[in-house]
Amino acid sequence: MVVDIKFDSSWEEGFLERINQDGPWANWELYKLAIEAERHTVIEEFDGLIAPKHLPHLTILPHQLEAARKVVENMNGKAILADEVGLGKTIEAGLVLKEYMIRGLIKKVLILVPASLVTQWTRELNEKFFIPAVAQKKSYVWEECDVVVSSLDTAKRSPHREIIYQQEYDLVIIDEAHKLKNNKTKNYEFVQNLKKKFCLLLTATPIQNKISEIFNLVSLLKPGHLGNESAFNRKYKKNSRSIKDDEHLRELINKVMIRNRRKETGIEWTERHVETVPIEFTKEERELYDAITALRSDNTWMSLSPFSIMTLQREACSSREAVYITLKNMLAKTENKDLFQSRIQDLLEKVDKVRTNSKAQKALQLIKSINDKVIIFTEYRATQLYLQWFLKQHGITSVPFRGGFKRGKKDWMKELFQKHAQVLIATEAGGEGINLQFCNHIINFDLPWNPMRLEQRIGRVHRLGQEKDVYIYNFATKDTVEEHVLKLLYEKISLFEKVIGELDDILTKLDFGNFEDYLTDVFGYSASEGEMRIKMENLTAMIELAQQMKEGGNRAASGNP
Amino acid sequence: MQQAEIHEFLVRFFQANGCELIANEDGWLTVQLTVDLDKELMNRPFYWHYLEKTGGTPNPAKLTFITDPQRTPKNIKGEKIHFGSPRLHQIFQSAKKLAGYIRLYEQGRSASGRGIPLFPWLGLNVKISYQCDRKKDILRSIGLHLINGRMVEGFHDRLLQLDLTPKIPDYSYTISPLIMPKSGILRIKNFLREEILREDHQWALEARQRWEKDLKLLEHFYEDGKEKGESYHNEKEALQNQYEPKIIISVINGGLFYLTENAV
Repeated sequence: MVVDIKFDSSWEEGFLERINQDGPWANWELYKLAIEAERHTVIEEFDGLIAPKHLPHLTILPHQLEAARKVVENMNGKAILADEVGLGKTIEAGLVLKEYMIRGLIKKVLILVPASLVTQWTRELNEKFFIPAVAQKKSYVWEECDVVVSSLDTAKRSPHREIIYQQEYDLVIIDEAHKLKNNKTKNYEFVQNLKKKFCLLLTATPIQNKISEIFNLVSLLKPGHLGNESAFNRKYKKNSRSIKDDEHLRELINKVMIRNRRKETGIEWTERHVETVPIEFTKEERELYDAITALRSDNTWMSLSPFSIMTLQREACSSREAVYITLKNMLAKTENKDLFQSRIQDLLEKVDKVRTNSKAQKALQLIKSINDKVIIFTEYRATQLYLQWFLKQHGITSVPFRGGFKRGKKDWMKELFQKHAQVLIATEAGGEGINLQFCNHIINFDLPWNPMRLEQRIGRVHRLGQEKDVYIYNFATKDTVEEHVLKLLYEKISLFEKVIGELDDILTKLDFGNFEDYLTDVFGYSASEGEMRIKMENLTAMIELAQQMKEGGNRAASGNP
Repeated sequence: MQQAEIHEFLVRFFQANGCELIANEDGWLTVQLTVDLDKELMNRPFYWHYLEKTGGTPNPAKLTFITDPQRTPKNIKGEKIHFGSPRLHQIFQSAKKLAGYIRLYEQGRSASGRGIPLFPWLGLNVKISYQCDRKKDILRSIGLHLINGRMVEGFHDRLLQLDLTPKIPDYSYTISPLIMPKSGILRIKNFLREEILREDHQWALEARQRWEKDLKLLEHFYEDGKEKGESYHNEKEALQNQYEPKIIISVINGGLFYLTENAV
């Protein structure tokens, strides 16, 4: 038989009981009301979305509505929602969730989000969607509550993990799903083993570096959709790909992924103004930086990898405190104490001589002239602490923000920033998962080398709901590795004006592995300035080629030697 | 559902439950809940438990609902109610819960002064849910004459035309059913089943095709020499939950109706 017919017998039992006991019987008016209520709530079509009728106060944008409809009608409830940052993926996910709930297709729902977003998700589902979502706080919540919001880190740990594996989820939603790009991680394995009927993966950056990342995401959602791992690797990895393969892959991916782009949504976006702020080292800062650079040609330092030297260089561009901490750690770790001691001591002395931080001075000046809320991003914890102290010395209130903060603390810091402080100083890991559209100035005190991470930073502020133009100030110290990177990112890729959608296309096209590794290679392993310049030019050429391929499609590709 | 309909629904619901309407204005209303309805809607079991233990004076809640904020004066504070409000859906659920079973008699008019015979009917309002990874519902109302076995569609709407009371009217007497309620329910079930089987089930075929397709992909994914571990079996089970087409028939409410001979 094509279809099984089941009768729900619960009513019958109650009825026979009442006949035996001669009641109690309902009143006629209420009986009629029950049927009227049912007539109002019954949904007689498979197609279409009912949820918007239940959410009259919610402004749903056309691209959001269309995305939700596609998920339900064309993708059978399994999709990657990959809109660019700030287009409202949460709203789309909420719509799908609401639709399935109204139709009675789902009951048990698990929502895994970054710790900093647990409260926000819970609140939005309750307030915007009238969904009684509960933030997981006690372990009984997993079993007792139908819609639970938690962080992935909590969920995957014992004893939660075991309880969660006992649950049969009708829908699993995972926010910032690009964290699952590597199928060898504990996170990945955890999500793969969840029992889930429907599933939504939310990410603004479905591909950060490698094409295999999208394979892993899709395989979580719909194993086999992109083939199995070995077949996929044979077909799409590295140089063996042809344009035809690419088209085929794109088609396949589009069957499970929705990606709206800013410019296609027809929404009026506020402008982005990007300004590079060149920084001049003081004499002492320069000496420190040069001393670190000189390590590369120093034979006794052979055991120190180019990567470590690169890290020190980048730190020297940020703050002497960052350098200091790293040197201390090196000293603690090394076995060959005598040999290293004197070298490191030399460097520590140079650190000690640095009296002012040129970037911090510039930042102070800028913050004063902006005279409004500012977010400062830095890669280094030590710089973060220093800046907090430094700003305080000059009467500027600031709050720190880090990935490691507990959920409540993140919410609290965000609120402090919104209501009481002028500056928020965030480290990289803090960049994700907070929405700060009440602020429109960002200072990149130092730059991450992965352009997608940069986009995540900007996306915290330049998103739906941002009413003002957004100002981005990139600090780059002259004649340092930092300046080189900025030149590449800014001038060659013209990253900051570009929308992220194009960028991930380009990075995929390149597919030379990890972007950061590549930069480390260029700056760390080049024997001379000349070699470095040639490698950079190569990279630029590749990026330009990828750009052409994207713009010109097959036409450009045929000219590809 | 229009806002005016919602307003009307609320008024009728509270009146049907014996609550006093303190105010019923254009755009808003205030109602004094009864103890029973407070327990039903306000979700405060501890309060009621405490009160019953200590013997205090019950103080059921007073609620104000705003069905049209534009027409409501600024000083009136209350819950805004619209079609998506959890409160409205709670009330919908409540109506269904409180009105699952009924027995009614038709108020007949006797011209001659002789007694009027009332014939037993079984009436069921059912929801038929067609479900795979999508879902739709159909409401049907079936009446079954418990003497001669005649079956009638749209039974509820016919009942709405009649004058019905919970007590047997004077000068009326009931005729005992020949078909017992239990077998009456079975008859209606079988009737629905046969009807449904005759329908076009393209939707279910398509769902099975989707299922089959995803199953093939899954097999392919794990054919790589990898062990088919727990995640494989989880996925396989999940696909069944997701796609397997089924039809679920549930009764919303129903009961016994004693009607005059030619009533329906």
